[in-house]
Amino acid sequence: MMAKRLALTTATALLLLTTAAMAQTEVRFTHSITGGSSREALDSIIADFQAANPDIKIKEIVFDDDQYSNQGLITQLKSNEVPDIFFEWAGFPVQRDVAAGYAYDLTEAMAADGWKDSFSPAVWTDGAGTMVDGKPYLVPLSLDLTNTIWYNKKIFAEHNLTPPKTWDEFVALNKALAEAGETPIVEGNNEFWPLGNWAGHIAAMVVPPDAYIAAFKQEAPFNTPEFEKALNLLVGLHEVGAFNKDMQALGADPAMATFFQEGAVMHPIGSWLVSETANLAEEGFEYGQFNTPVIDAAHPLANSVIGTITGLVVHKNAPHPAEAIKFLKFLTSEASQIKWAESGQMSPVQGVSDKAKLDEQTQAMLALMSGASGIVPPPDNKYPVPVAEAFYQAAAFAASGEKSAKDALVWLDETLAAMGKQ
Amino acid sequence: MSRATERRRSTAEWLQFGVAGAIVLVTFYPAIWMVYSSFKSNREIFRSPFALPAQWRWENLIEAWQVGGLGTLYFNSVFVTLVAVSMCVLFATAAAFAFTRLEFPGRKLMYRILLIGLLLPPPSVAIALFTQLRDMHLLNTPWALILPGAAWQLAFTVFLMRAYFISIRPDMEEAARLDGANTWEIFWHVSVPMVWPAMLTMVVLNTISVWNELLFALLFVTDDAQRTLPVGLVRFSGYHSTDYSLVFAALTITTVPILILYFVLQRHVIAGLTATAMD
Amino acid sequence: MLLFATFVLLPLGASVYYAFTFWDGFSAPRWAGFANFARALTDTTFLMSFVHVVLYIAATLVFEVTFGLVMAVLLNSDRRGFSLMRGMFFAPVVLSMSAAGVLWKFVLDYRTGLLNSTLRSVGLGDWAQPWLAQPETALLFICIVSGWKYAGFYMVIFFAALRRIPRNLYEAARLDGANGVQQFTAITLPMLKQNVIVCILLAVTGGFAGFDLFFTMTNGQPFGATEVPATWIIKQAFDQNQIGYGVALTVVLTLVVSLISIGYLKISERGNVTRY
Repeated sequence: MMAKRLALTTATALLLLTTAAMAQTEVRFTHSITGGSSREALDSIIADFQAANPDIKIKEIVFDDDQYSNQGLITQLKSNEVPDIFFEWAGFPVQRDVAAGYAYDLTEAMAADGWKDSFSPAVWTDGAGTMVDGKPYLVPLSLDLTNTIWYNKKIFAEHNLTPPKTWDEFVALNKALAEAGETPIVEGNNEFWPLGNWAGHIAAMVVPPDAYIAAFKQEAPFNTPEFEKALNLLVGLHEVGAFNKDMQALGADPAMATFFQEGAVMHPIGSWLVSETANLAEEGFEYGQFNTPVIDAAHPLANSVIGTITGLVVHKNAPHPAEAIKFLKFLTSEASQIKWAESGQMSPVQGVSDKAKLDEQTQAMLALMSGASGIVPPPDNKYPVPVAEAFYQAAAFAASGEKSAKDALVWLDETLAAMGKQ
Repeated sequence: MSRATERRRSTAEWLQFGVAGAIVLVTFYPAIWMVYSSFKSNREIFRSPFALPAQWRWENLIEAWQVGGLGTLYFNSVFVTLVAVSMCVLFATAAAFAFTRLEFPGRKLMYRILLIGLLLPPPSVAIALFTQLRDMHLLNTPWALILPGAAWQLAFTVFLMRAYFISIRPDMEEAARLDGANTWEIFWHVSVPMVWPAMLTMVVLNTISVWNELLFALLFVTDDAQRTLPVGLVRFSGYHSTDYSLVFAALTITTVPILILYFVLQRHVIAGLTATAMD
Repeated sequence: MLLFATFVLLPLGASVYYAFTFWDGFSAPRWAGFANFARALTDTTFLMSFVHVVLYIAATLVFEVTFGLVMAVLLNSDRRGFSLMRGMFFAPVVLSMSAAGVLWKFVLDYRTGLLNSTLRSVGLGDWAQPWLAQPETALLFICIVSGWKYAGFYMVIFFAALRRIPRNLYEAARLDGANGVQQFTAITLPMLKQNVIVCILLAVTGGFAGFDLFFTMTNGQPFGATEVPATWIIKQAFDQNQIGYGVALTVVLTLVVSLISIGYLKISERGNVTRY
């Protein structure tokens, strides 16, 4: 009892002391940017903000990507001590947050000072997933290319290879590399989304768009000849020995490290790889990227890319919404966004990409995105997460040779039926 | 136990020594490997996982300590364990005393209910407990780990303490009662000194489980400042999953002191376990 | 008792109620009737998770209890060095499961792990496998790690019991011409019966609570081959944000464990094993 009282008085005294010294507001900001040049840029923007606003302190609560999307974010959102700002992916996740009452309606804030118009108009279109019922909830921070195929230029040169134009060339290239004793592709798929996103893109390039959407909305079966064809492309890669053997046990980040350590020739993953380069690559490491090669030239999405928007949401019950919004405005100001873009991110703010000194890879990705015939959203950002994850698992079955394409799709339909409409 | 009789060993004894030694060495080797790997650079770990470090890089340990905030993790773990274990063992001893030495209505029923806790796996209430702690505004505080931690160890502790109470005859307590001592005095001055060795064993056993608890710590605490070692380590290994040497260093820092503490106290830990364990 | 009631019984009761609702943990629960339970019974991953946990328990009986018993017999000597070896063998027990999990993930890593690099260095490189990436080996290795972690605990329990067996029993047996194995089966095992039964109880209940090792090593992967009830429940309730369904799964788990426990207590009461 004694000890407890003592602790209480000390706490009160400390509290009084800090209040007296400085009436500082703490804004809790949770995200999954753990390292690399983007984290440095973010930390420096936060430092600038705190210098300009000494009464506000930004407290970062950081998880790695997988833990963030598994338990990290949700336990915080449901807690009695919610974060003021949280990182989120556009589309379905934002919709879900709004429905659950986690997201703050930014209509008013966006209207003030032309904040909304400072962003590129494309982020406020219906398909962008930043708004729900016409109200903005997600403050866009980055345009993400969810998947592209990164390759090691040196090893490509050693084997006289060039980026493939068609899927058949791509398979032949994998076969050649495997026969030369290399690991052609490394993927860290223990959480299913890395390969799953790519498989989502491949399927979108094969299956007629209507049938694709209907299947993910649980209005039509997955077990169709078109989906089977898409998964068989992965089976084909598996058969030529394209994938690393420990694909299903490896995490996404260790897979990336393997690529940078020259443990594999190619690595299909998103644009965030660029910001990790400084951390993981050795001196003189040269790499490039190419989009998933054309599979069916007649398909409307033959030249599409897979991408989404990531950004920040203010919690509906945020203790300090005004300060949170103030910080977000600072973070999306032109000066901050130039820093952000130069760390290897594609900024959603107008004009930034022209003014910033962009990294060669970032420029190439911007070119890829603007030249694409369409942008396919990653399934787990567009459709109910359980459906997307079941599809990802089916893709992993096919790519690791556990099940045939047909059996994987039968399994998928059965799993979705048991789950019920999501 | 360590009194070694040094007459010549027979062949069978040498065989026993050799086989046992080989098995123990194999099972203990991963710990040794962990320690020396934590001094290597990432490149060495990737290129030659088996070899000793070319150069002993103490800076790995320093970096891990600072980057991981391991000091805070240690402090939190010690605090949570200390409070939870003392609460649990005290309450359990009192409860075991009541169950064995006192007559009160519903005694049998209460004991049977308590036994549910012995067999129930913690995941079965983790979710409901989460929402309950939220409504009590305890999430993200050490109490979110202390109170459930103590409660979950209680059934097991009462069960073993009760067995110990049964194993000693109530003569002393009855004598004290005849001398006019009240229940409370009997408990503190007669029973507690008698069951003290068993209480210490329970302290050791409970410390091991509370110190290592992961599930509740993962769900009930998200704030860096409140995290305990096991969940901090898991998070650290995810966070720095590309930096193998750093994770090895963190592993070493978080486990070696525990191992040293254990080897120092080994005799007590094992003797305590063997004296009262499981009978 | 109040502590126990608040943090064990109350959530247990609440679980039963939430199990009948559709609930995301935040908005008001909607009554769902038996829908969650119906879904649980068709959820193949959930059903398989029980199969895995049973396999895991069976394996722990081998890798923990039996191995612990064998090591207790092997390490039962007063000779110099044995005390140290007992200490070393027990050491993993004091480590946290998460530390053990993280460490063994490194040991079993396909490219840089201790196991594969040992195999490669002795010329058995072809045997190197991505141990945790294959459904056939992932669960097995979790069981082995669990054995590594807990065999020391059972060893100590059995060791203590061995010490209480009177020496003259063995001497008498030796005079009757019994060899080591015969002595073990005729004297040691029967004398340890009580301990064996208690250890099995510990292994079974501990098995159902198993979460830490699965979570840190594979989190259910590959392809749900190491999914146990605890990991699947946490995934449903938090990752997928379906608290109502997650809670229904916890109720099923509780029911299953209770049935097993009641059965066990019935048997043990008859055998007067635990002083109950």
